[in-house]
Amino acid sequence: MRLLISQLTHRYDDLTVLDGVDLALNEGEVLAVIGPSGCGKSTLLGIAGGIVAPTAGRVSVDGPVPDGCLNPITFIFQDFALLPWRTVEDNVALALEHHPLPAAERRERVNDGLRRMGLEEFRKALPKQLSGGMRQRVGIARALAVRPAMLLLDEPLSALDAQTRELLMDDFLALWRREKTTALYVTHNLDEALRLADRVVVLSRRPGRIREIVTIEEPRDRRLEASAQAHLAEVRARLWTLMKAEAQMADREIARA
Amino acid sequence: MLDSQTTLAAPQPVRFRGGGFTVRRHPWAALAAFVLLIGLWEGASRLGLASPLFLPPPSAVGAALAGMILDGSLWLNLKASLLRIGVGWSLGTLGGMIVGFAMGIGSLARAVGVPLVSAFFPIPKIALLPLFILWFGIGEPSKFATIGFGVFFPTVIATYSAIDSVPRNLIRMAQSFGLPWRSILRSIVLPGALPGILAGFRITASIALILVVAAEMIGAEYGIGAFVLMAGNLMQTDTLLAGVLVMSALGLTIGTLLSVLERRLLVWR
Amino acid sequence: MTFASWTRRAVLGAAAATLATAVLPATTVPVQAQSLDKATVGVLALSSSGPIFIAKAKGYFEREGLDVTLSMFTSAQQVPVAVASGDVDFGVTGLTAGFYNLAAKGAITMIAAQSRDEPGFPLSAYVATNAAHAAGLTKPSELKGKRIAITTIGSTFHYMIGILGQKYGFTVKDVTMVPLQDVPKMVAAFKGGQVDAILAPSTVARQLAADGAGQILGWAGDETPWQLGALFTGPKTIQTRRPVVEKFVRAYKTALAEYHAAFNVKDSSGALVKGPGYDALLTIIADATKQKPEIVTAGLPYVDPNAKLLIDDVVNQVKFWQSEGQVDKTLDAKSIMDLSFIGQ
Repeated sequence: MRLLISQLTHRYDDLTVLDGVDLALNEGEVLAVIGPSGCGKSTLLGIAGGIVAPTAGRVSVDGPVPDGCLNPITFIFQDFALLPWRTVEDNVALALEHHPLPAAERRERVNDGLRRMGLEEFRKALPKQLSGGMRQRVGIARALAVRPAMLLLDEPLSALDAQTRELLMDDFLALWRREKTTALYVTHNLDEALRLADRVVVLSRRPGRIREIVTIEEPRDRRLEASAQAHLAEVRARLWTLMKAEAQMADREIARA
Repeated sequence: MLDSQTTLAAPQPVRFRGGGFTVRRHPWAALAAFVLLIGLWEGASRLGLASPLFLPPPSAVGAALAGMILDGSLWLNLKASLLRIGVGWSLGTLGGMIVGFAMGIGSLARAVGVPLVSAFFPIPKIALLPLFILWFGIGEPSKFATIGFGVFFPTVIATYSAIDSVPRNLIRMAQSFGLPWRSILRSIVLPGALPGILAGFRITASIALILVVAAEMIGAEYGIGAFVLMAGNLMQTDTLLAGVLVMSALGLTIGTLLSVLERRLLVWR
Repeated sequence: MTFASWTRRAVLGAAAATLATAVLPATTVPVQAQSLDKATVGVLALSSSGPIFIAKAKGYFEREGLDVTLSMFTSAQQVPVAVASGDVDFGVTGLTAGFYNLAAKGAITMIAAQSRDEPGFPLSAYVATNAAHAAGLTKPSELKGKRIAITTIGSTFHYMIGILGQKYGFTVKDVTMVPLQDVPKMVAAFKGGQVDAILAPSTVARQLAADGAGQILGWAGDETPWQLGALFTGPKTIQTRRPVVEKFVRAYKTALAEYHAAFNVKDSSGALVKGPGYDALLTIIADATKQKPEIVTAGLPYVDPNAKLLIDDVVNQVKFWQSEGQVDKTLDAKSIMDLSFIGQ
């Protein structure tokens, strides 16, 4: 499935956070959106997923939807957004409950999600009993259970420590290796963008505008290899140059406000 | 750096400097203090330091309590009060939760409800007793109403604040998965508000216990509140304290039951 | 005249509330001869306390060498408690089961009469609702089997139903007494038709009748004369301050006789006549009770000019409360009266 964003502008009262954003997310592509704090990255994602109403502009989707897809555009959240009173398996089942599915299929979707994220032995656990990484895996399993056509990831690893972040990135890579995934990945972390994305969109400081879109030529699976490092270093340097000035100015702006 | 320098001649152990400032459990201290207090009280009465009229000794209170148990009046009074507390509290809680939910979810209901609740909550229900008699008579309904009205407003406030405290991100998550409004209410808002609602129960249970005495001012033949009022009117101070003891035991029991309920329902916290 | 002033109350101050009947030994301080003995008396702002107001206003206490302070209370229950705790030295109020329980514990002793219910003196009325009246409740004797609102169990109203039953051959078990704690709630229940009848003070009863809310069936004074209230003090006060009690009672009796002559005398036809000093005494009582004189006039109770108690009735009261299980069975009514001060 494809996502098209055109001339998107968003204002909170008289504060413009997004200004004339045009963006296309292609079928099978992982697009990272990076930018300084407060540049409207999360707002952009919310508008793309239909849970924030834009002030002006249009968001549309087209293209094929996988079989058995219950929720084409599906979110993965920074704070996991798990129901603390539900067990792991019941959290995964939440998004299936309002769909008329045969009991066996419902069970199979939950089990499949749990299996893919390695959560089977924790199915009866409550969120409070899990580490942050495990909690986010539950969030991913919940997203997988609806067979989404597109993932919208809102800083999914920001609440985790460095090692767990590495592990989760491996999980994402494994997932995306097995099936072609279309994803919009919002982050402020350059490493995540460099590891996971096909293209990186750099947003300016508020009001958010697209500064540049950088394509990473190296295939995702080979980026840890030695031969890839020169190219990645070049891209990193380019992205950092773009980001640094924006981040510095944003920093001063926040301090003044 | 310092000019002079001292060298430790021999290895010295590092002195332990931590400790203290930690709370240790003294499981018997409370009980011992309680027993000591009762002992002092009884002793003061026996030695004639306190008049049995002004401060009846624990033994006299115990005897009055035993008398109540033996002649069956304890159960008779307790049964009448428990019914009133049970029905009054349930009605007030049900009504309060319905209104509280409406105010928690609907902005119009909230705009109307908040000033109304602020206006009616502080009215002492005891001042309304003559009106309650005119509206509901002097039978059980006026007693249910006294307790019910007392419980209603705190429940409304507890419920809508509890709904306010349900994390918005969970509701956004549910919306992002396309959950319908009713499912969000049932699966997210209701369980998310439960801790706040249960905390409200703790307060309203105490209020119900206090108001049963007021309610039983209205022509009650039996009831622990009526019993205490009568003992007070008759200046039977030992019986009065026995009734007070029963009421505090009742309060303790209800509190314990609520704790058990909270532990059961809120394991996830 | 004694040459002593009492500092007992000052000493008691804080201790009184908790340990009061363990009365501290009174200390006497010699002072000048012309100084007055101090005493306090607990009263309600009702015309039944009239003689006390008169004795105070007309200086009868000073004449006896007493400096008496009036302590105003709002409920009859508080006065004997205040005497028992030593907060006041004397008290005048109605006789209730609570009063006898305090007396039974040796905390208070009756020393003279207050007012009594007497034929021709309308103090408390039996009032029927219009519905009950229409259904045939027209006489006090027909209250048997009816629902009657009273203030509390153990109150004077409770006893009035008891003696009414003694007169007409029923017991309190034959009526349903509905205790509602206070008059406003009783009136609410009455107007709401929740009870058949109410026992009400004269002002309330007349108001209900005037509003057309009910019918007055009769007056307790006409049906069942009884000893409504008494002057009482603590046994310790009698023991240790007997002269003060004697002086107090003398002044009280002077006022009582004056009150009786002014308000309680009937002519040959049985109608009340205004006695000497009527208006002056009425003004004193109206001022003390903060009531309009015409309202005070309508509810002036009868007092015995010599402060004599209806001893038989007091004995009957104690027996009644004992049969109701509200006063200790071992209490002997004679043991809680000391009538030596009035020579009865």
